[in-house]
Amino acid sequence: MEAASSVQRLKVRHGKIKIRTFNRSTFVLQLTLSFILLFTIIAPFFLDYSAIDIQTAIFYTLDNLKMMFLQPALNQVTLGAALYQILITLSLAFLSTLIGAVISFFLSIASAKNLMPSYISNIIIAFNSFIRAVPTVLWVLIFAIVAGLGSVAAVLGMTLHTIAYLTKAYSESIEDIDNGMIEALRATGAKWWHIIVHVVLPQTSSYMVSWTFLRFETNYGVAIAMGAAAAAGGIGFELFMASSFYYDLHEVGMITYFALAIALILEFISIWIKNRLIGSR
Amino acid sequence: MPQVLTMERKDMTEYKTSENKGQQGETLLKVENLYKSYNRNTLVLQNVQMALKQGEFVSIIGPSGAGKSTLLRCINRMIDPTSGSILFDGVEMTTLNKADLRSQRAKIGMVFQHYNLVSRLSVFENVLHGRFGYKSTLQGVLSLFTEEEKKLALEILDKLGMKEFAYKRCDQLSGGQKQRVGIARALVQQPKLLLCDEPIASLDPNSSKVIMDHLKDISETMGITVLVNLHQVDVALKYSDRIIGLNKGSIVYEGIPENLSNMAIRDIYGSEIEDLILE
Ligand SMILES: Nc1ncnc2c1ncn2[C@@H]1O[C@H](COP(=O)(O)OP(=O)(O)OP(=O)(O)O)[C@@H](O)[C@H]1O
Ligand SMILES: [Mg+2]
Repeated sequence: MEAASSVQRLKVRHGKIKIRTFNRSTFVLQLTLSFILLFTIIAPFFLDYSAIDIQTAIFYTLDNLKMMFLQPALNQVTLGAALYQILITLSLAFLSTLIGAVISFFLSIASAKNLMPSYISNIIIAFNSFIRAVPTVLWVLIFAIVAGLGSVAAVLGMTLHTIAYLTKAYSESIEDIDNGMIEALRATGAKWWHIIVHVVLPQTSSYMVSWTFLRFETNYGVAIAMGAAAAAGGIGFELFMASSFYYDLHEVGMITYFALAIALILEFISIWIKNRLIGSR
Repeated sequence: MPQVLTMERKDMTEYKTSENKGQQGETLLKVENLYKSYNRNTLVLQNVQMALKQGEFVSIIGPSGAGKSTLLRCINRMIDPTSGSILFDGVEMTTLNKADLRSQRAKIGMVFQHYNLVSRLSVFENVLHGRFGYKSTLQGVLSLFTEEEKKLALEILDKLGMKEFAYKRCDQLSGGQKQRVGIARALVQQPKLLLCDEPIASLDPNSSKVIMDHLKDISETMGITVLVNLHQVDVALKYSDRIIGLNKGSIVYEGIPENLSNMAIRDIYGSEIEDLILE
């Protein structure tokens, strides 16, 4: 039973003992960082500034910002209509988060390495990475081919992204479960589903709720963008109309404030949930 | 490989004649020619032979890495042995299919060093987890426990002095209390065999004594066979009917505590640890 006790030889370079040995991941990291640095320095030289008079540009920008944020007003839509549109946006976000969360729960179990054979989880993880790599807008536009541009395509696209995101978040919290608990239940003769319901669920539910709400917040933001970009309706569409159709910067400002207020409220709820559930472990 | 420490194992029949305590009857577990390797070139268990009788209290001692946990986990197939036979309660464990393994596991309770309780659930819920081996998928998922099962759980908790904590969340308990819940979860299985992997290694001396006393009591009054991995030789000496010494995957001692000489201890732990043991 000789242990493989051949201690690796110390690496010495220029008469000094090295702390780290070469490994691929640090090499890739360093390469990436140097490229980013390089492009950041080079890029500005390739831009064409000739048509812009910096002074006037800055002046007009400030003027527009002043119209938007210091003189906000509703001209085309009424207050009630605006609130109603926000409700629509929230509904879009809610729907895609809810559907996404349910599907993610099952997918996350299947992709957790401590519950499933690794080839299954690797397949799901690969799929997820692919879904996440394509921006939500693009997914919405892809779904628009079959569902037509509008709220259905938006919800489908957002759901897909939600699934990819939440599956990852959920399965990471599942993988954090102490393996001993799962082992103890297996030793009693418990079935796989018993372990899911009586170990995985109680140990991860608070993390799952807090991740889900975080995603709801994100989806709210995405739903605003989708309203504008994919005609999904809601406050995003009003924003789009105000800015591109009526060119009413006062209204753009007002709608932005509304959207922001809701986002802040969501943020507060999110923090509250997190403290309540995870703080009291 | 050459192993100076490996001495001739005593014949299985030998301890039968040695002074047996209690009313121990039939052989409950019989391990024969057990081998286990995690990778091709190292054997973690080699040619392990072992027989346990009903109601016996047996300790396995040995240095870290000797294969004590591996041996214990092979018995209820948490780990699949490489070769050999494990006969438990008249059933060969090594060839069981999934469903049969499950019903055999229900008859074997397991107690862990780190208790392995579901920390966010109550004591009561954790104890009832011991019944899952007898439940269908749906019954288990919906927590459909009978009143008898609940009473049994409370009775066992009462016996272990933990009844008043039934509705407390497990992450609010002390180590000794957690281990008692761990034992309760194993007992609620109504097992024939209790496997304990270093049940007191994370506990202070007082809690350790409480736990060991309970385990001893379980073997004596309930007739449940108890197999315990231990680090502490003195504890093994005090509680065991029989001690098995494991070194580098082989059994190097087997016999009653009274026969465990300093020589034997040196065989088990190797000479370098001698000073520690014989102070
Ligand atoms: N899952 C595993 N994969 C590979 N090797 C393992 C695995 N589990 C244990 N081993 C090896 O098997 C040997 C025996 O381990 P085991 O845990 O059974 O020892 P032990 O006697 O319980 O030790 P300790 O007293 O430290 O708990 C060790 O050398 C260990 O490194
Ligand atoms: Mg061990």
